[in-house]
Amino acid sequence: MDKANREAFLNNIATHAKRPRHQLANHPFKPLNNLPESTLSGKTQDQLLAIARHSSEEVHVDFRTTAKENLAAAINDYLQHKNIQHLILPTTDLWQKFSLADWQNQRSTEHTAYWEPRADRQTNVQRAQNADGAIGFADFLLAESGTIAVATVPGQGRAFHFLPTHYLSIIPKSRIVPRSRQAMLYYEQKIKSGELTTSNINLITGPSNSGDIEMVLVVGVHGPLDMTYMVVEDL
Amino acid sequence: MATLSTSNEPFLTRIKESEADKFMQKSVAKAQDAQWEKRPASRKELGHWEDWRNLGEQIRQHVIKYLPDYLEEFSDNVEKRGGHVFFAQTDKDAVAYIKKIAQQKQAHKIVKSKSMVTTEINLDKELLKLPDTSVLETDLAEFILEEDNWDEPTHIVFPTLHKNRDQIRKIFQKLGYKGSNEPGEMAKFARHYLRRSFLEADLGITGCNFAIADQGMINLVTNEGNADLTMAIPDTQVVVMGMERIVPSLKEAEVMDNMLSRSAVGQKLTSYCTFAGPQTADESDGPKDFYVVILDNGRSKALGTDFEPALQCIRCGSCLNVCPVYRHIGGHGYGSIYPGPIGAVLSPILGGYEKFKDLPFACSLNAACTDTCPVKIPLHKLLIKHREVMMDKMKIDHSFNNVLMKGAGVATATPIVFNIALKGGYLGSAPLAKKSKTSVDNFFHYGHIEWAPSLAKGWTDVRSLPRPAKGSENFRSWYKKHQAAKQAQAKEEHDNG
Ligand code: SF4
Repeated sequence: MDKANREAFLNNIATHAKRPRHQLANHPFKPLNNLPESTLSGKTQDQLLAIARHSSEEVHVDFRTTAKENLAAAINDYLQHKNIQHLILPTTDLWQKFSLADWQNQRSTEHTAYWEPRADRQTNVQRAQNADGAIGFADFLLAESGTIAVATVPGQGRAFHFLPTHYLSIIPKSRIVPRSRQAMLYYEQKIKSGELTTSNINLITGPSNSGDIEMVLVVGVHGPLDMTYMVVEDL
Repeated sequence: MATLSTSNEPFLTRIKESEADKFMQKSVAKAQDAQWEKRPASRKELGHWEDWRNLGEQIRQHVIKYLPDYLEEFSDNVEKRGGHVFFAQTDKDAVAYIKKIAQQKQAHKIVKSKSMVTTEINLDKELLKLPDTSVLETDLAEFILEEDNWDEPTHIVFPTLHKNRDQIRKIFQKLGYKGSNEPGEMAKFARHYLRRSFLEADLGITGCNFAIADQGMINLVTNEGNADLTMAIPDTQVVVMGMERIVPSLKEAEVMDNMLSRSAVGQKLTSYCTFAGPQTADESDGPKDFYVVILDNGRSKALGTDFEPALQCIRCGSCLNVCPVYRHIGGHGYGSIYPGPIGAVLSPILGGYEKFKDLPFACSLNAACTDTCPVKIPLHKLLIKHREVMMDKMKIDHSFNNVLMKGAGVATATPIVFNIALKGGYLGSAPLAKKSKTSVDNFFHYGHIEWAPSLAKGWTDVRSLPRPAKGSENFRSWYKKHQAAKQAQAKEEHDNG
């Protein structure tokens, strides 16, 4: 950065505003209310699940729940229902946590690609582009808005969520939180502590859509044509 | 035509042209009516809307107050992430810098996601001057406008409101589309057409809803997914942001995203709210090279003045959606890429009074815009303030006086009918009150009315749309009254010694 360029610019602002620079340290932002935290607070996990289902269905999400032991079967149902031929999956150790290691091993390599941490841009992007389905793991489901929150990691990149035609997100019930505030507090803390290194956080609410032609809602524009959330109830 | 201004025609001509466009008027009305129900419903559902507004206002006022400090923090953090920041005083500075990057990177295939600020600096057409370079707008609406010979947007959230499905089909047919005029089918065509371009793109350009000062990330709020592809696939990303579009942390960004989504489209959150910076070492997509251009381009002129609150704007379009004048003349009538009440406030600040002197009069002062604004910008008061500033200028600068009086057709061309319309509109409409459901058409700050008969051509047609406030004034009567008040005040001060 050209420091002179920055100084001239910022000094010009200060001059116009008639306010000296470097006052922020003594005047940090202090919100005048705690609505972001208090809204939808105090709900049980069951109540949050019910709210999440309602909000998700409102934005055209196919909302499903399953027990962990039935997850593999539920995924197979989904793949059959959507007639998905080429799947892209993340590289992650979450497969074990969700007891999906066997399911994963049984997938034919011909029809399954992985977003690989060490692969180059072209390879991963092309794999996502060739896939008609993606199964991803979300960090959170935001009950209020029916939104999945997911940070980019080497095994699950950005385009992973956008290029495939159909998208299934797996979320443990324990990771349903009231609102975007809780997700942001988590990310802030993890980034600050160095536990999370990411260049990108996505809040994704249902399938892509547009009202640009005569305000008629079209679902599925650049991103996935449809979204399915699979909440694993005993996790 | 480009940059801030979208027309060389005088205001009255633009109004007449807009008036003749019945499809546009119907579309704007339809859009406003759709949002009329959706927006308040989504705000009500959230609860405590007034307290949310107070919080939104507080966040935006705070960052404007400490703007240099936040910009400094943000630019330091972008650099820590390996990105680059350039501070552009003018549109020309910004364009020259971005062109230089495109050349250095030997970028020939550029994809863009919707950004008003890049329209403000005329970036697309400038980039197209580079040899062997294509620039593709990837937001569906912006793509349609681009393929229609760079037609101008008409709304800050719904840029193609003025186009019907048959017109869009014709535009797509030029690109090889053979399908029907059904919106879903046309959107699919655009999806396939644009997907190829994403995969080949070497430079992505985006705007920025909010820069996150303590993270060095930018926040984009969209519905289609094109902005995310623009940030994921090309090696290089250029972000162009108005200097005021900043928040302290992810927490305030999250608050603003919620308020923006509910205010713009009546959604709890739009489909994609993304917080992003340059690719980290272990990631395989996202921009390897990340540039942020922070633009002043006249914004600093608002600082330290009565117009400073205009910089709080989060471009939700809500004020357009409740405005009876916008309903009638649409976006093109304003002759600025920023139309509606916020456009009428902002355009004279950024582009000067000589060019945009009429816009502060494109207002019935019903204050619906002020009431709906999620960050509590006193829009109608700022429009009155613009009038006051112009008055003061007139008194001291005769050349300005001439320019103003010649150009301000709204005030000078039809003063008599204008007055009749005002009076007739107000008095005549009273007995009709409360006959049908409230909408933009009949909502008024002081009550609800039905359509008041149109009494004159041009501006007066527009002015008679809502029930005009008793207190709303035309240019001359307003001037007279204020002159008298000022003289009285001066006399009082004089008498008091
Ligand atoms: S002025 Fe307020 S209502 Fe209008 S676009 Fe800006 S934030 Fe929205």
